[in-house]
Amino acid sequence: MNPTVEPQKPDLQGRKVLIVDDDRLNLRILTRILKPEGLIIEQGYSGEDALAQYATFMPDLVLLDVVMPGISGFETCRTLKARYGDDLAPVIFITAKSDAEDVVEGLAAGGVDYLPKPFRGREAMARLRVHLQNRRLNEDQKKLVSQLSSANSAKNKLLGMVAHDLRNPLATVRGLAEFLKDDGKEGKLTADQIDLVDNIYSVSQSMLEMVNELLDLSVIESGELKIHPKPVSLSEVLERSVTLNNINAAKKGSHIELKNVDLPAQLNIDGPKIKQVVDNLITNAIKFSPPNSSVTVEASQTAKECTVAVLDHGPGIPEGEMHKLFKDFSQTSVAPTAGEKSTGLGLAICRKIVEAHGGTIRADNRAGGGCTFMFSIPQPV
Amino acid sequence: MKFNGKVLLTDDEAHIRKFIGLVLKRLGSPVIIEAANGQEAVALYTKHSPDLVLMDVNMPVMDGVQALTQIKKDDPDALVIMLTSLTNRQVVEQCANLGALDYLRKDLPRDEMITQLTQIIDECFGPEDSAPAEAVTTP
Repeated sequence: MNPTVEPQKPDLQGRKVLIVDDDRLNLRILTRILKPEGLIIEQGYSGEDALAQYATFMPDLVLLDVVMPGISGFETCRTLKARYGDDLAPVIFITAKSDAEDVVEGLAAGGVDYLPKPFRGREAMARLRVHLQNRRLNEDQKKLVSQLSSANSAKNKLLGMVAHDLRNPLATVRGLAEFLKDDGKEGKLTADQIDLVDNIYSVSQSMLEMVNELLDLSVIESGELKIHPKPVSLSEVLERSVTLNNINAAKKGSHIELKNVDLPAQLNIDGPKIKQVVDNLITNAIKFSPPNSSVTVEASQTAKECTVAVLDHGPGIPEGEMHKLFKDFSQTSVAPTAGEKSTGLGLAICRKIVEAHGGTIRADNRAGGGCTFMFSIPQPV
Repeated sequence: MKFNGKVLLTDDEAHIRKFIGLVLKRLGSPVIIEAANGQEAVALYTKHSPDLVLMDVNMPVMDGVQALTQIKKDDPDALVIMLTSLTNRQVVEQCANLGALDYLRKDLPRDEMITQLTQIIDECFGPEDSAPAEAVTTP
């Protein structure tokens, strides 16, 4: 996990060049030009040679004559390109000076440049140098990308493991705190003790939310967010979510109301994932609204799509911060109203879940105050 | 409803057994038998013939899937509910195919867990003062 790139060395020491020409004199001249630079040279005499030698020598650059007995230079280049694709070392054609059309065809065949005969030492070296350096840069870049992507997947794996292992103990801490503070059934507590237990409860609750969001993110980032659609009653999902969230909302004196629900009996969706989206929108609405607020959940349908809207009476989304809403780890300047925590991941996860259903999610401030978050899922055709 | 049946609670983590044990006690006065892995669960099932089994999936010695398989083999009528921490669809479906009745997520908030367990037990033993299956027939 150390993505260091060696500094670009100008010297070409040890780089491998395959020179292919049926004219031995050309081979000698080119070899004499290139040898002093410390390049390792191998010579071939035909297109067939080139194909065989490329595979064993694996050059960093190929100098290829166009007109040769047997398969031509262009044909050889096309074959190499087909075999090695983007990994193919740069191919420079050796051409007679006046062949402008050859140059065009050569480039079309996958060559990167051409070297006109008769050769001039410094020009030849200059051209080779550019392509060898590009090749080196390309290789470095590929190496870097692969190092980064393996570092990233290691990060996701670690994130997933940590989050997963933290989750059960945290859920227990939260659950046991709930029992402890619960109406004295496990023994009466003093007001101070209840205060301590409340702290344990709320801290473990917010840590658990954070861990869950990290876990979701690691799953989503590793490309493993899979939607398993089944015919589900979206109205039932909404009812369940509203009922459960009302328990928490009540602690803040707030209330969630479900009304104007007009939905088809069943929709082909991933119920638990969509419930997660609804839960998140409702939790946010409560979190960012002042205590004793009311939040409304509505649902409607058109021939094309079903839309769920969550309306709050919070401060709305500040002008110019709308674009931050659905991005990873992004928070607006609006803070929760009762010290609740926010990781900035929730809405990003919602967006990914909704988009995986082929739907859209958006938010708007309402003229009368408060804002509306809504998502739409397409109706089956 | 009141649930007074015998429950075999299997999880390798003692804190989970503690928590779910407390949840079960909110449903009535069940008799709770604890097992820390699948092997213990299989042995205790034979010994106590519980009315209901709560079975963790990932455990050392013998995992929940193997234990489920063995218990259903010993007693095809066994009522087994899998405890999962992640809704891993493959495992859930595999367990359903092996005869598990349902699954319960261990990381649910307490009240939601009480609600879900109540539903499951209502479905198994009927919503009335339910106890073990044989008691349901008494008027």
